[in-house]
Amino acid sequence: MITVRLEPGGEVKTFDRLNTVHQLLNRLGLRFTEALVIRDGRLLTQDLKLKQGDAITVRVVTSAG
Amino acid sequence: MKCRRCKAEAEVALPSHNTAFCRDCFLLYFSRQVDHAIRRHAMFTRVDRVLVALSGGKDSLSLMLELANLGYSATGLHVDLGIPVSSERARKRVEDFCAMHGLDLKVVELAAEGLAIPEVKEAVYRPVCSICGKIKRHYFNRMALEGGYTALATGHNLDDEVARLFANTLRWDEAYLSDQGPCLPDEGGFARKVKPLYRLSEFETAAYAFLRGIEHHKDACPYSPGASFTSHKKLWGELEWKSPGSKVSFYEGFLERGRPAFADRDREKGFELRPCASCGSPTSQELCGVCRVRAAVAERRGG
Repeated sequence: MITVRLEPGGEVKTFDRLNTVHQLLNRLGLRFTEALVIRDGRLLTQDLKLKQGDAITVRVVTSAG
Repeated sequence: MKCRRCKAEAEVALPSHNTAFCRDCFLLYFSRQVDHAIRRHAMFTRVDRVLVALSGGKDSLSLMLELANLGYSATGLHVDLGIPVSSERARKRVEDFCAMHGLDLKVVELAAEGLAIPEVKEAVYRPVCSICGKIKRHYFNRMALEGGYTALATGHNLDDEVARLFANTLRWDEAYLSDQGPCLPDEGGFARKVKPLYRLSEFETAAYAFLRGIEHHKDACPYSPGASFTSHKKLWGELEWKSPGSKVSFYEGFLERGRPAFADRDREKGFELRPCASCGSPTSQELCGVCRVRAAVAERRGG
């Protein structure tokens, strides 16, 4: 299982089957320039693979005011 | 994906530049973009004193840190809007950030000025976002002039500038189209205004803030839902996705070919400005907009 925390807001989602960052962003309806994808203190590019047990933070970058 | 410069594993992919960078090379790229913007538009030099408007968000804090790292003399200015919870959090972020990096900070409290935004919202029957922006710009300008700073710098990024230009174009607003740009001169009671991040997207400033370990304010303003700029940014995000480079092309094209035409037009029709009878700020009426809002708040309190 892959755990994803969404910022801002802090909502947490889990996914059973995800292979890449690209797939994750597609599932969340985000373009890869709309959010930072963070794992273990590093930014991930869209081509990188995800693995079971990953804890990911997705930080949407558009400021809302 | 590999870094274009050093071939290490990339952390930041930039489709608008058809490239990707590792952490160190991205930070170098970011610094060069900021320095290029400053020099290209002669915004200021290392002997000048620069006042940086700090909201607590990623853009303004990133700008402040980068200017300090590049060796510029930067002082922060935070305007505390007086909104319960939200303003307290934003101010703490700014104060903690400046203390951590040893940066100078000045704070203006709108509540002490008779202009706390919740009171303004109740007293004035216009969208509070535009009035809040007017009040902040008023104090940025006054503090810059009174403090003898060469320039007032804001953290507006490419997405902010494109969204604003798009909104002004949708209205064909000649006055705003004539003076939008990354460097506005000091004249007529206005401090020089500069936007050193105008070549960098919101994604790039967010990546910079993360890689530099900047703890910034992430909560949306409680009064801002539905702000038109947010929907314009989404529209432009789709356009940029389908056609990378559209944003910078639209904005740089405007600076080169659009703005001069509107500047000529505005000179023909421009309003004459004079000092506000109360505070001395430039205005086309007897009292400036901020002094009129302050009077409306005072009247509501009295009534």
